[in-house]
Amino acid sequence: MDVFLSITFDGGAVREFFFNGVILRGVRMTLQVTVLSMFLGAFLGIILAVMRVSHSRILSGFSGFYVWFIRGTPVLIQLLVVYNGIPQMVGSREFTLFLTPFRAALITFSLNEAAYMAEIVRAGIQAIEPGQMDAAKSLGMPNLQAMRRVILPQALRVVIPPTGNEFIAMLKNTSIAFVAGLVELTTAARLIYSVNFKTMELLVVASIWYLIMTTAFSVLQAEVEARMAIVERERVLPLSTRVLRALGGSRER
Amino acid sequence: MKRSLHSAILWSVALNGDGDGGWGKMSDSPSLMLDVRAVHKRFGSLEVLRGVDLQVKKGETLVLIGPSGSGKSTLLRCINHLEKIDAGHIYIDGKLLGYREVNGRLIEEPEARVARVRATIGIVFQRFNLFPHLTTLGNVIEAPIHVRGLPRQRAVEEGRRVLEKVGLADKMNAYPSQLSGGQQQRVAIARALAMQPKLMLFDEPTSALDPELVGEVLGVMRELAAEGMTMVAVTHEMGFAREAADRMVLMDGGQILEDGPPRQFFEAPQHERTRTFLSKIL
Repeated sequence: MDVFLSITFDGGAVREFFFNGVILRGVRMTLQVTVLSMFLGAFLGIILAVMRVSHSRILSGFSGFYVWFIRGTPVLIQLLVVYNGIPQMVGSREFTLFLTPFRAALITFSLNEAAYMAEIVRAGIQAIEPGQMDAAKSLGMPNLQAMRRVILPQALRVVIPPTGNEFIAMLKNTSIAFVAGLVELTTAARLIYSVNFKTMELLVVASIWYLIMTTAFSVLQAEVEARMAIVERERVLPLSTRVLRALGGSRER
Repeated sequence: MKRSLHSAILWSVALNGDGDGGWGKMSDSPSLMLDVRAVHKRFGSLEVLRGVDLQVKKGETLVLIGPSGSGKSTLLRCINHLEKIDAGHIYIDGKLLGYREVNGRLIEEPEARVARVRATIGIVFQRFNLFPHLTTLGNVIEAPIHVRGLPRQRAVEEGRRVLEKVGLADKMNAYPSQLSGGQQQRVAIARALAMQPKLMLFDEPTSALDPELVGEVLGVMRELAAEGMTMVAVTHEMGFAREAADRMVLMDGGQILEDGPPRQFFEAPQHERTRTFLSKIL
């Protein structure tokens, strides 16, 4: 065969390595880091957003500075700072041992995500008409209570679609955790092809896994949106209900 | 300074010198629910309230009218401390609102205290401002549970009672988006009433409604007035004013121009400005 046109792709290797133990552990690691970081990031982001819109200059200023700093530096550098920089600075053996690749990744991605979530939640809060805050205050709620009971429950609904975006972005961005030696999905694939040289095949395996996970999250997002819709005319039946019905399930509303 | 002195004199004259003109820490007259004295409010360079004096007795229904931009809504928002005032005093049931007076200087009260006073003043907004994520009943019991601390069951009983009062007991489980404008506004009134307010403020409660829905809201307001609720209503529904108001007040340019019982207000207004304004809206 002509040397210049020879293309080798071993479909069998894709099938063989799809359920490989190292790959599966990588998938699990990617999921763990993503879900935990998103959870912590969203939690911190809500706090930062409420601080940002508060009347206190100190709280608002701190939140603004945090967002500016985190968004203005590469997450790769942030990870290196957490995993390499700070332990070197602290110079304590216990601390270095404590800071496993998993923990370093979790801390970095959570703190990083918090900045982006803060901006998303702030936009959500500001999308709620001011009359809602007036009404809550007029009923005797102090600011923070009005925020918690009236503004945030509405804002968080607005915030679901962009949060879904963040989730999916996070799922893929966790792959940079390789610099901290974390064996997530991409690193798992690299480990294998560095030994067996089936580079393309392993990259395809990893990509298919990423596609499966992002698809699953998209479906989950649609489900959450449907369940949380406030306005009746916007209310689509949750996907699960629709599927059950299509399958002849008996769950009527 | 000159202006506030001037209005203070005018004010004590208006009260026929019944000894109520002092500037003590408490409003002196126990029969006043609302006592607004020489209140100034500016937004940037625009002075919206320019020395407003207004007294409302317990059980009185006051209708406040005036051209747009005259400061009516701002005055209501100041009474509820949704806006801070720049000068003057506002007393609710004899207590200074939003501030503490220490050696003649006003110090802003902590938010929790302000919130507690606000809980005793109901306000109904032009645009309803119902909580869209809660049902009708949810809207009504939210503050009784989370502000007054009522047990849920009692709040529900109470909520059912006020919803019956506004004729919406059958809509308890509906969301605001499923209700007509008139129904939403009645829920908003019920939500305010559920806090058992001493004073109800209405900020153009029917202006955002289709004409055929105005009546049901005015009906509820009329009933409240008849029951002796102290009310300050900004409205241009003159039929309601004639029937339900004990007193009418015309604001213009951030000041109160005319103040009197409806009959006198409509038939023999003191000011030319009142006459021209009435001729436009009647």
